[in-house]
Amino acid sequence: MSANGAIDARAEMLSGAKSLAVASPPSRARGVTSDLSIDEALLLHGAGWEPVDLVCGVSVVSVPIGVWNWGQGEITVASVAHNAAVKGAADQLRDECIKVHGHGVVGVRVQVEVRTHHIDVELVGTAVRPIDAKNLPASPFVSDLSARDFTLLKGAGWMPVGLAFGASFAYAPRRSAGDVMKQKTQNIELTNFTEAMYSARESAMERMQRSALDVGGQGVVQVKVTEGPMHFARHAVGFTAWGTAVRLVAESHQFVQPQVILPLNDAVVAFEAQSLRST
Amino acid sequence: MSDSSLELPEAAVRRLESSAFSSGLTVPDFAACLDLGLQPVGLVQGFCVMRWGWYGAGSGYMRGMNPYAPGQQNNSGYAETYRCPHGFVSNEHRMWGQNLEQTWVEEAWSEGYGSAYRRMLDEAVSLGAHGVIGVTDRVNPLADTGTTEFHFLGTAVKVEDGPPPAGGVPWTTYLAGQRLTKSIEAGFMPVAVVATMASVRVWAYCMTEYLMEGSRGWGGPTSPYEVEQVSKAHMAVRQLARKQVRQQLSGDTLHGARIEVVNRELSQGDEVIDCTLRGNRMRRFKDFDDVPPPRPTVRLT
Repeated sequence: MSANGAIDARAEMLSGAKSLAVASPPSRARGVTSDLSIDEALLLHGAGWEPVDLVCGVSVVSVPIGVWNWGQGEITVASVAHNAAVKGAADQLRDECIKVHGHGVVGVRVQVEVRTHHIDVELVGTAVRPIDAKNLPASPFVSDLSARDFTLLKGAGWMPVGLAFGASFAYAPRRSAGDVMKQKTQNIELTNFTEAMYSARESAMERMQRSALDVGGQGVVQVKVTEGPMHFARHAVGFTAWGTAVRLVAESHQFVQPQVILPLNDAVVAFEAQSLRST
Repeated sequence: MSDSSLELPEAAVRRLESSAFSSGLTVPDFAACLDLGLQPVGLVQGFCVMRWGWYGAGSGYMRGMNPYAPGQQNNSGYAETYRCPHGFVSNEHRMWGQNLEQTWVEEAWSEGYGSAYRRMLDEAVSLGAHGVIGVTDRVNPLADTGTTEFHFLGTAVKVEDGPPPAGGVPWTTYLAGQRLTKSIEAGFMPVAVVATMASVRVWAYCMTEYLMEGSRGWGGPTSPYEVEQVSKAHMAVRQLARKQVRQQLSGDTLHGARIEVVNRELSQGDEVIDCTLRGNRMRRFKDFDDVPPPRPTVRLT
């Protein structure tokens, strides 16, 4: 580091090159693996946490034959299968986190694939723990928040407690032949459609909120909602809602007071060498 | 070139002997590279085209190799066997199932990847480079020939006034520019790009077949049910990839890991799951400097 506190990158590079100039003795130490970027690793370190290991959870749950056939209302079996697959994958992820002595998993990428006869859920993230942590928590948290958001959340006095997830599948309602004929020349709301979709959306969100409460959360942040017809059964529509359940751990919410900045960059200048350096 | 590798093409020799350097760096990365005291000396690359052989009888690929018959298998990797709970039903009934690590596929992949990597290093060594930055690697099928091409590309650099790496083997990294600068400033020196591939073949037994095909047949449940064999295979392939990568780390850190899974469904629950894991092997050469607490900002734009 130079006299004014700025890091001399050239000197650091030279130190790094010198460290590789001598062969390192073989080590049996367990290497750390992480999918965090260097920015995220630095931020975590600044917050007193460190990555431990890359962890995964996968669950494949079957959907019995005939479930997607025409019907009315919610496709309960598919909803149950979906929620079971997510829970199974989250449990696997948590188990892996415990094995590597992590206190939680951040940056979890959620991948869900709904197929005709099975629902596949994959969760991948990085297990983290406080630096020099001695005790393990009773149950590590699982969160799809990035390391940056985790740091910000923690700074505000909150902690993630788990992944909140809810899904609902519903049949698109059918109209009677008489209704179809009657409504052919009308511009009207199809109330049965509205009600069915409304209800299915609410079911997914309600399940998500219930799962947040189950893991001890007070709320859910960064909720994502997906919806759309199944590609193999266009008459069935799926809704999912997920986010990270959070809990206030400080006595009260800590206000993060952001500094308001007004960039004075000339929009025409596309490249500025100084911007390459981290500040 | 090193073991079992090829001679450089004449054009490559002429290019590497040229007085001008070439680089795959963007202008910002190039500027950051100079700022770090890294002198680009040339664009280097390595190739290897591998043909996947016929996995016939004896290779452990074909169904029909009963895991219960002694002396049939010679696979030192992960294997898990499942047995039908129904007894003899018919000749078509799948009496057993198995998850089997395809070590021969993994070895072939490592050979192709390693050869291409070594060839890139050979080019870098011939330029007197200390390291290779901004590495990109691609593993692609080559046309429709049943072959796979491994391709490495990177920019060879010299550290100004720096010593050569131990053993003369250049260090390598996927990083370049600002990200590389930040890593160095944080005290992490790149050692090598590391990658590994794990492959697990699933031979479905009757229960897996029923569940993956819609829960019917002998004793197949009619409510949602976890497909244990497939779930375990997915977990196993990811665990194997991470275990193999960890073996290459020797206590160092893997940064920016990328995990990719390709699932090839064959039929009725049978599938092949390939998991590739790659990242930057980094070595800590100093303790983290204290990072000032980040200051949240709001842009008025």
